[in-house]
Amino acid sequence: MESLLLDYLDRVGDMFANPQKRVFVGYLASSFVIAAAFFFLTRRLSFPFICKALFDKKVWWSASAKGDYKLLLINQAVMMGLGPRLIGKLAVATLLFESLHVWFDGRVLIWTDAPGWVIAFLFTVTVFLLDDVTKYWLHRILHRWPVLWAFHKVHHTAETLTPFTVLRTHPVEAVLFTLRATLVHAVAIATFLYFFGDRATLIAVLGANAFLFAFNALGSNLRHSHVWLRYGRLVEHVLISPAQHQIHHSIESRHCDRNFGAVLALWDWMGGSLEVAERKRNFALGVAGHRGNRNNLESLYLVPFVESYQSIKHPLRAILGPLTRRGRMPESGRQADILTMGPRPKPSSRP
Amino acid sequence: MRKFLSVGVSTLAISMIGSAALADGQVYSNFPVTLKNYEGKKKTSVSYTGQIARHALHDSLKKLAGKGNGQPNPELKAKMMSYFAGKDKGRAIVAPATKGPFAVKQKGVDDISGGKNLAGKTYKGTITGMPNNMTGPDLLNFWIDKASSADKGYDLTNGYNYPQLISKFIMGAVFYNQAVDGYLDEYLSAEKKPNDKPYKKGAAYTGKEHAWDEAFGYFGAPAHTLSLTPSQVYQIAKQGSKSKDPKDALGFADFNKDGMVDLKSEMVFAPAYYAAGADKGGKTKYMHTITGAFLDGRKLLAAAKGEKLSDAQRGQLRGYASVIENNWEGTLAEATFKYAGSVYKDMVKLKGMKATDDGYTKTLKNYVKHWGELKGFSLALQTGKKNLGGTASTLNILVGFGPVMPDGQQVVNIDGGGKYVRAGGVTWGNYMKNMLKVQNLLVKDLSVKARANDMTKEMDALTKALGESESAEND
Repeated sequence: MESLLLDYLDRVGDMFANPQKRVFVGYLASSFVIAAAFFFLTRRLSFPFICKALFDKKVWWSASAKGDYKLLLINQAVMMGLGPRLIGKLAVATLLFESLHVWFDGRVLIWTDAPGWVIAFLFTVTVFLLDDVTKYWLHRILHRWPVLWAFHKVHHTAETLTPFTVLRTHPVEAVLFTLRATLVHAVAIATFLYFFGDRATLIAVLGANAFLFAFNALGSNLRHSHVWLRYGRLVEHVLISPAQHQIHHSIESRHCDRNFGAVLALWDWMGGSLEVAERKRNFALGVAGHRGNRNNLESLYLVPFVESYQSIKHPLRAILGPLTRRGRMPESGRQADILTMGPRPKPSSRP
Repeated sequence: MRKFLSVGVSTLAISMIGSAALADGQVYSNFPVTLKNYEGKKKTSVSYTGQIARHALHDSLKKLAGKGNGQPNPELKAKMMSYFAGKDKGRAIVAPATKGPFAVKQKGVDDISGGKNLAGKTYKGTITGMPNNMTGPDLLNFWIDKASSADKGYDLTNGYNYPQLISKFIMGAVFYNQAVDGYLDEYLSAEKKPNDKPYKKGAAYTGKEHAWDEAFGYFGAPAHTLSLTPSQVYQIAKQGSKSKDPKDALGFADFNKDGMVDLKSEMVFAPAYYAAGADKGGKTKYMHTITGAFLDGRKLLAAAKGEKLSDAQRGQLRGYASVIENNWEGTLAEATFKYAGSVYKDMVKLKGMKATDDGYTKTLKNYVKHWGELKGFSLALQTGKKNLGGTASTLNILVGFGPVMPDGQQVVNIDGGGKYVRAGGVTWGNYMKNMLKVQNLLVKDLSVKARANDMTKEMDALTKALGESESAEND
């Protein structure tokens, strides 16, 4: 029991100490610096006012934020039990690596005269791009398939955003994220080792993929915040800005199913789901029809199962989305929520 | 000045105590005669010359197995059989022999111990990793026959290197089996060879002392192993090399500084050599762990002063025996792992070559040699006390009866006349995959740690570099 408790505390601590995690203290600190500079440059606020604006109790101690913290802490315990039961990256990579020998009847080593750093760069970029595009597609599916939207909705019922909202995740989703990473990394590892041998290495900063490190160090935590930081129309076709991700959390029907991307906006651009940020934020956050009542444990953990089950009671609904009372066929689970929503909420004011 | 002298004397005293400690506690020699009523003249009860003679027979047989000229050679076969199954006098030590400054003291097997052979001590169980339900001696007889008509030990059509197959299999079927399934097992019972009686009439050692010594002899380590590094042990076995001066190797081996290497106590033989080979990488300590456990056990026996061992003492001895057995098994598993990697690497090279290319025959010979080592060690692993069960079956299926040759054929059986039956089936790629699976199996089931020639080492490293997959991060 004591060792279980220590393991649990170790996992919680690792979230803040591990540069491979979004809420690593270094990334939180860099996001604070960027946000402070942004407020100073755009509003000429003094440091105490900047701090007051950034650490607004209404945001950090809201019912929604408390829901985030509950999920964050309970999920660590849940994943302690679930994680080891999921298929491992090494096992999948080994299976693929072995299978490549059969598919190509031997070992194929290509571009043997290429310098090691070129292969390392290629590997690092490939992992980054594969990670990002699969995150985009999984995220898109989580919105489009009602059976999965029921779980992803937990993340979207947040009505205030803090960096810890990134961990406002239902365990079913966490399993999907884990399996995605397992598969993508295993494919990258197996294919690069098979074709390039031991030249395949990861370019890392503090142990994290160099590209992801850069993304996180440059304020990734502001995407879940009330800091409306835009990159401008042109850049926002390539990189997802914090403001664009806040649009993704908008309750407004005009913003429904936009900006699924994690780092790159290219996938949204190509997939027709890109929305660039306007000058000002003029919308509330959350899911229509679920405001203010989705932060208790029952809503966070159990209700998604019920809603997911309801969505698959009729196979056609599971695939195409439920028929609404207005008789319209929505494209996604989220649209169904919007079409069945109650009175439209008032836009929240900017901080 | 007085202070200086005092420090000097103290240092000298400490160093003398250190030397004495090395001699008394860290060298497997000079344990006293403890037997009550012993009336002979011997001053020590340590004796394992029979085992060293068998190491010399093994090394010589391996050397002879590579002497064929590709034609049937009854004379060579008879000579090999005399080293394997004969007990005749006058057999010269073909190996290890004097090499430059590395002077070997003994010239003939009888100089070590007379009337010894290997066949009588070979594992009698069925060797399931080869066809036709052969026993250990059957298989060695079969291979000796084939080796006598092979070209310098090679059969490049079927993919066999007989010196390697014979040598590596004997390392299990004789040395490992005799030690862990005999002397370190049933000989530790209360009834068999008790410690208050001589091993045999007139002997200077008790039953238990000699049984323990015999097991140590089969390990093939010099008595002063604990004062040597794995690299030094390795150099002794190699008797120097182009890059390592044989004089250095002599210096490491020649513990009594008489200018010669006494095979009875100063030479390194096959099992200890492979333990040192695994340890050279720094991840394991098989050689010192095994030798240390042998020494601890021998100290316990010396301390028993010729009395019958209590259950507690035998229990402690069994503990040391268990350490020896597990680590010895580890060295065989490490060697199997290493050669699966070598075979894989050779297959990568061969895949890109044509039979007419320069170096093709050399590469093919390396492939066949490494496969012989792989097969020999994988069979050796199966001759211990433990029944490896599913691990052994899987290993045998993966390695097969012969390697897949570049023509796509593989030996799948041996007919009644002793001829190989070949067939296609396992593809080149599938056989490479089998080598990877052999390595994975040995990691999973036998916990190999040194992992020389690890073909998926980078996969472990990259998996760790990319971090854990588990994630609850949501965008």
